[in-house]
Amino acid sequence: MADGGTGPGSDRQGIGERVLRKEDKRFLDGAGRYVSDIYLPRTLEAAIVRSPVAHAENLKISPPAGAEGRFFTAEDMAADGVQPIHVVSKFPGHKGSDYPHLATGKLRFVGESVAVCLADTRAAAEDLVAGAEIDFNALPPVVDMLAAVEPSAARVHDDWDDNVILDSRFDANAENVSAPVSVTRTFRMNRQAVNPLEGAAVLAEWDAREDRLVVYSASQIPHILKNALCECLGLRQNQVRVVAPDVGGGFGYKCVLLPEEIYIPWVAMQVKRPVRWIQDRREHLVTAANAREHHYSVTLHAQPDGTFVGLEADIIVDSGAYSVYPHSNILESTMAGRTLHGPYTFSAYKVRSRAVATNKPPIVPYRGVARPGICFALELAIDAMARELGREPYDLRMQNLVPPEKMPYTTITGGEFDSGDYPEALRRSADLIDVAAVRARQLEGEADGRLIGVGFGCYIEMTALQTSAAARAGLAAIPGYEQAHVRLTPDGGLEIGVGVQNHGQGMETTLAQVACEKFGLDIDMVSVRHGDTATSPYSTGTYASRSMVMAGGAIARTCDVLGENIRRIGAHLLQCGFDETTISGARVVGPSGDVSFAEVARVWHRNPEDLPADVDPAGVEVTSGFRPSPDKSPFSYATHAAIVAVDPELGHVEILDYVISEDCGTIVNPMIVDGQILGGALQGVGTALFEESCFDAEGQPLSSTFADYTMPGSTHLPNIRLDHLVNPSPLTEFGVKGLGEGGAIPPPATIANAVNDALREYGAEVSETPITPRRVRACVVAKS
Amino acid sequence: MKSAKFDHQRMVTLEEAVAALGSADGEARIMGGGQSLGPMMNLRLAQPDLLIDLSRVGGLDGIEVAGDTIRIGARVTHARIEDGAVPGVTGAYMQFVASGISYRSVRNRGTIGGSVAHADPSADWPSALLALGGDVVIAGQDGERRMPLDGFQIGPFATGLGFEEILTGFELPTLGEGAKCGYYKVNRKPGEFADAIGAVVIGSAPRVVCGATEAAPFRVAAAEERLAAGVAEISVADARDMIAAQDPGFDDYDLQIHAVALSRAVGRAFA
Amino acid sequence: MTELTLKINGEDVTADVEPRLSLADFVRDHRRLTGTHLGCEHGVCGACTVLMNGEPVRSCITFAVAADGTEITTIEGFDDDDPMTMLRQAFHENHALQCGYCTPGMLVAARDIVTRLPDADEDRVRLELAGNLCRCTGYVGIVNAILSVIEKRQA
Repeated sequence: MADGGTGPGSDRQGIGERVLRKEDKRFLDGAGRYVSDIYLPRTLEAAIVRSPVAHAENLKISPPAGAEGRFFTAEDMAADGVQPIHVVSKFPGHKGSDYPHLATGKLRFVGESVAVCLADTRAAAEDLVAGAEIDFNALPPVVDMLAAVEPSAARVHDDWDDNVILDSRFDANAENVSAPVSVTRTFRMNRQAVNPLEGAAVLAEWDAREDRLVVYSASQIPHILKNALCECLGLRQNQVRVVAPDVGGGFGYKCVLLPEEIYIPWVAMQVKRPVRWIQDRREHLVTAANAREHHYSVTLHAQPDGTFVGLEADIIVDSGAYSVYPHSNILESTMAGRTLHGPYTFSAYKVRSRAVATNKPPIVPYRGVARPGICFALELAIDAMARELGREPYDLRMQNLVPPEKMPYTTITGGEFDSGDYPEALRRSADLIDVAAVRARQLEGEADGRLIGVGFGCYIEMTALQTSAAARAGLAAIPGYEQAHVRLTPDGGLEIGVGVQNHGQGMETTLAQVACEKFGLDIDMVSVRHGDTATSPYSTGTYASRSMVMAGGAIARTCDVLGENIRRIGAHLLQCGFDETTISGARVVGPSGDVSFAEVARVWHRNPEDLPADVDPAGVEVTSGFRPSPDKSPFSYATHAAIVAVDPELGHVEILDYVISEDCGTIVNPMIVDGQILGGALQGVGTALFEESCFDAEGQPLSSTFADYTMPGSTHLPNIRLDHLVNPSPLTEFGVKGLGEGGAIPPPATIANAVNDALREYGAEVSETPITPRRVRACVVAKS
Repeated sequence: MKSAKFDHQRMVTLEEAVAALGSADGEARIMGGGQSLGPMMNLRLAQPDLLIDLSRVGGLDGIEVAGDTIRIGARVTHARIEDGAVPGVTGAYMQFVASGISYRSVRNRGTIGGSVAHADPSADWPSALLALGGDVVIAGQDGERRMPLDGFQIGPFATGLGFEEILTGFELPTLGEGAKCGYYKVNRKPGEFADAIGAVVIGSAPRVVCGATEAAPFRVAAAEERLAAGVAEISVADARDMIAAQDPGFDDYDLQIHAVALSRAVGRAFA
Repeated sequence: MTELTLKINGEDVTADVEPRLSLADFVRDHRRLTGTHLGCEHGVCGACTVLMNGEPVRSCITFAVAADGTEITTIEGFDDDDPMTMLRQAFHENHALQCGYCTPGMLVAARDIVTRLPDADEDRVRLELAGNLCRCTGYVGIVNAILSVIEKRQA
């Protein structure tokens, strides 16, 4: 690839190699350092008084006994001039609402922060919480998104004339949407919680030596959090440092600002002591019941020969009570409306999508962001169409996928697929799952009385959100040129600073591989530093499957610049022309000899008297950046296929086989790629079969422990068979495409289609996630 | 999510423990392995004022066979039973039940006595032992007494134990070689509490239990009669009628899964 | 306060603690052994799994006072332990960890599996792992790592 490469005889550790992770050792030794592992002297522990009701007004708070100076409310924050979280959107008609850090007057969801209690231990702080009294006038809650759009619904925000946050239409050639064959279905993807195993965590102190607020937070976006702290607390940028140390999983939950991330630092400044708040699981399951929850009415129109013509849909997304910083509360609804077409060709499109406010926690962009929902709705509608037409679902998809010869392909809503062979992914997954064998097995029947079904799910994922798309939405964080800082250390190693944050993705390894690819040096000589605003270049952070595309690209570009500087010094030491040099195996190679990076580094740092007189004073420490050019996003895609067995007596679903054919462009580290897909897929299985944040009619959460909220476990998915297509993206360095989210997108669609295939003799169709035994039985009973 | 404050007293003798129950200010709870009480206390769903720790009390972790009875101490852990500490056909049945309770790291501390005294309707032992039959052994101020497992649990988290009594063990029947046992637990994840339980023990007479209800597990009389008549299977449809006849207050889905559990437990007993 | 005497990772420890202090909070906040993680505090996720007298237990739902007189081994206490050394290497080679948060508890549970069930097959390993949640990996790497150690120990 680039002019560097790896020298002969050395083990390759660059792009494409299965390099074991550099970051593993500390975790295996129990020496990882998460926020809750950081102990600062005199730290006070915080516990939060939270709203016990979904909707109320005239909030009054009485502090518990013995809490003088240890109890804080919104009134205290307002008196100090703290500003609420303010997130607007450029989309016309968007209704704005500020997200109070601590509730002011009105309560809008169960678990909303009301007051902070401090004590020497968390247990003692919880004792104070138990002693706090809050009083309010309960209001009728808005719990269900379908009821929320009714004119008679109570209003979540008093100054709005209804609960619709944004009503968007994505029509193209809408007048020609109809066709001879139509199927209409409704689908629901229920609300769930993201559940990284480490919940949110904040530790803050005013550091007198640094003369600034230092906030440790389990965050995917330390720089954006810093912006928010400055905006809300009225601090200058040089008065805030945010550190995201080891973070125990994020999956999107940690790429938004939590109110705690503002009020805990503020409280620390009031008491002039470090304060920490560690979210416990119940707090997470109650206050972070904030992902998915879409409703679809879909009509798919096709010609009798199966050619898709038009797609009509009315989409409602339950966005909860507030808009989250920086991604807002309309990311899901607009993405769902714009990209419901998936990887298929349509000639007409008539889609309405509404984001709706309810008295539930504010929605966050959980892994996959809207696409698990749209994939579920579209792919189930396609299977319904296949049954209508008497076609194999696999075959009907093949007929309508965007073919490779049309790449790059402009979608009906104006998006652009950059590259790929979508039908090939489907073909390969269908071969691997062996559709014919499933059909034969179905004819024979199962000895245990269960019903077998096969299902497919195809998707596309726009990765590494481009500048223009974020700007169009007017998000509070618009990604631009991602930067990397690369320093040649005095021993010839590299220290790389990036603004993205690594919380399981293996970036301390894969980003180092980029530098190894460029320079051919040993990966032990490369360190990737991240997660600290004091030491990393500005970045909007890790989300939207962007880190390898963006930070990897930035490292590549920066290494190119650094490589030139190194070659200049090397050429001087080799007494040859710059143009005569190349870099290989961490050496500058000239026509008659070579010189090591270590030697170049020694001269720059330790023996500058040996440098050429005209050396570039920028030296061997370079910051540069990258953005796809033109400003477009690479699209990953895959087809998932599953065989399930449905126990019609109990309604239980077991996954018997699962295959994935995917394309994330050039693979940087196949081990990490597989790990991301496998982990994502099991989260998708959780969405498909298990995970649901239930609420009662009063908006009370019913899934507040892991006894009531079932997480997918080790027995729920057999070993997935993975298959990789590699169609490099023309937009990115090395041809990489983003990959982190994709695994989680199609499992709900794939598994539901397999269940419906199994239930076809009943004529029953599941249409709602999670596909619980109770829901399966309800389908079976209704049709029996 | 930390427990509310409580006092802790470590007892050496049963008499001491019974006396402590009697003299406690406020609510006193007996703690065995703490694997049921611990989570509830962390969630502050249980806030006892005093925790009476029986871990030092002797004589509560024995397993003895005396004729046609197996005496099992309250403090015997699920893990020991899983590993085969209880002998014979009774032991094999209990071994199967134990292996499905929560996870190994919980089974290492959780105790059979604690589970039955805690009386969570979704737990395994209340249903499994009711199918086995036998007695609960109880210590109180007047010494030791026995209650039949039949009727011991009277509701969710409610038993026939008096406020100043401690469950010390069980006297269970030693099943003969010809006895048949079947246990079927409906849940979605190994180790989770049950959504439905069917438990069948055919020793001297058939005992069939429907468990994981909203209340106490109950014996299904019609099913027992059917098995006593020598029939070796019960269909789901029949099981539905048999369970419904006892008016458990199930909706259709709950009735269905309890019927399936019962039917499949019978199937396992005769497998 | 209640006095407590126990051994942690081979070291004799005496402390005066509130009865409500969990064993997990004791090893973390009082002993600064932060490798033991809290994921749910109600006994489901397994991140807090430690050995008590050689057997895995949940330190989040075990009060510290209940550990009086016992020997506790946390993830920091396995440096000279052969099964753990093998498991660590196998976890590394099989990409059995991502964010690392579940890893200490997962390793302690895995050690129990390979030592208690030396013949466990994949189904059994998956069954035994049901008490430890991992949100990142999908378990494939973890299961493969444990199976590879079982195989090595059989050789």
